Amino acid sequence: MRRAVSLALLAGVLATACTSYSSTERPSSQIAFGAEVAKKGLWREAAFRFEQALSRDPKNARAHNNLAVALEATGEFAKALEEYKKALDLAPNDNYIRRNYARFAEFYTSYTRTTGKAAGGP
Amino acid sequence: MGRRGRRPIAAALAVVLAASVAVWLQPADAFAGVTQVRMRLPLKPRLPLRGNERVALAPFLLVTEADKQRDKRLANLDLQGEFHRFLKKQMEKKTKLEVVATPPDIKLPTQSLTELGHATEFWRSVGAAMGAEIIVSGSLEFKVEDRSGYKTEEYISPINGQTYYRQVYVEQTGFLFDIVFLVIDGRSGEKLLQDEFKDFRQASSRKADELQGLFENLFSLENQILNLFVAREREADRYIFTD
Repeated sequence: MRRAVSLALLAGVLATACTSYSSTERPSSQIAFGAEVAKKGLWREAAFRFEQALSRDPKNARAHNNLAVALEATGEFAKALEEYKKALDLAPNDNYIRRNYARFAEFYTSYTRTTGKAAGGP
Repeated sequence: MGRRGRRPIAAALAVVLAASVAVWLQPADAFAGVTQVRMRLPLKPRLPLRGNERVALAPFLLVTEADKQRDKRLANLDLQGEFHRFLKKQMEKKTKLEVVATPPDIKLPTQSLTELGHATEFWRSVGAAMGAEIIVSGSLEFKVEDRSGYKTEEYISPINGQTYYRQVYVEQTGFLFDIVFLVIDGRSGEKLLQDEFKDFRQASSRKADELQGLFENLFSLENQILNLFVAREREADRYIFTD
């Protein structure tokens, strides 16, 4: 019986290890790393990580959202708008993305109204 | 005994493996973490300036001048003087522009904002007299409004702990400040930019001090006003996914 319990525990540990395995090749790892550096205010590095995630998984709405936020933080507002739209296309019911987009749209509308041009554009 | 002893091991393994497979097959969304981040959005200046220009502060048209007769609180307020002082102080503190005030006896050629924006000759002469590359003028409107009325308020009874809604009578004072900026090229006299900033503040008592209200309006508009001349930042919160 004790042997059975030990084996079960070992199998459990292995299973957990498998599920928490992370590789830098995986988009989620890039997103996680990007989010970490974003929290420290390193937005360019964060944007690079989110782009990496998107190169591996172009239909990842979360990566598009995060990239949009990073672009916004670096003043690339026109590009941020594109990324927010892509994120919303992929996940139209995601409340976080919708809230981000609403706040960005409010800011961007007033910004373009005052500057008279699409700021951050080419 | 041997066969019986192996059964629990196999069962336990099966359970653990099934659980891990279930975990493995879960959609990624089920574990999606979200965090809120605060960032500073860079705001480019609205006017393409070098940053060290000589700026002349010309008088502003006072839209509320007529109300001074009716409202005693406005009569005691030197709106032009207070606004000029505020603007000069903020521009000197937060920009590298050289700010000069036009002589107090200078008279605007018209009381119409539209015509003021087209008074090219007048502005060119002001620019030459002050040696200013940029001239700032426009119009100011400040209103104090006493408001009172009934408001629905949530109330938790201390007796039974239940939530009720009740009507309470509230007295409030509202301060409205509306500024239209005209920025003129001091050399050509041409209008470079016209923009309007509005702010409304509410104080939770009647007869709140009008000067305090005016400065609350001004401080809330400060960032937008300075953004006409220099780059500013604006704080914003956004959500990012952590996996």
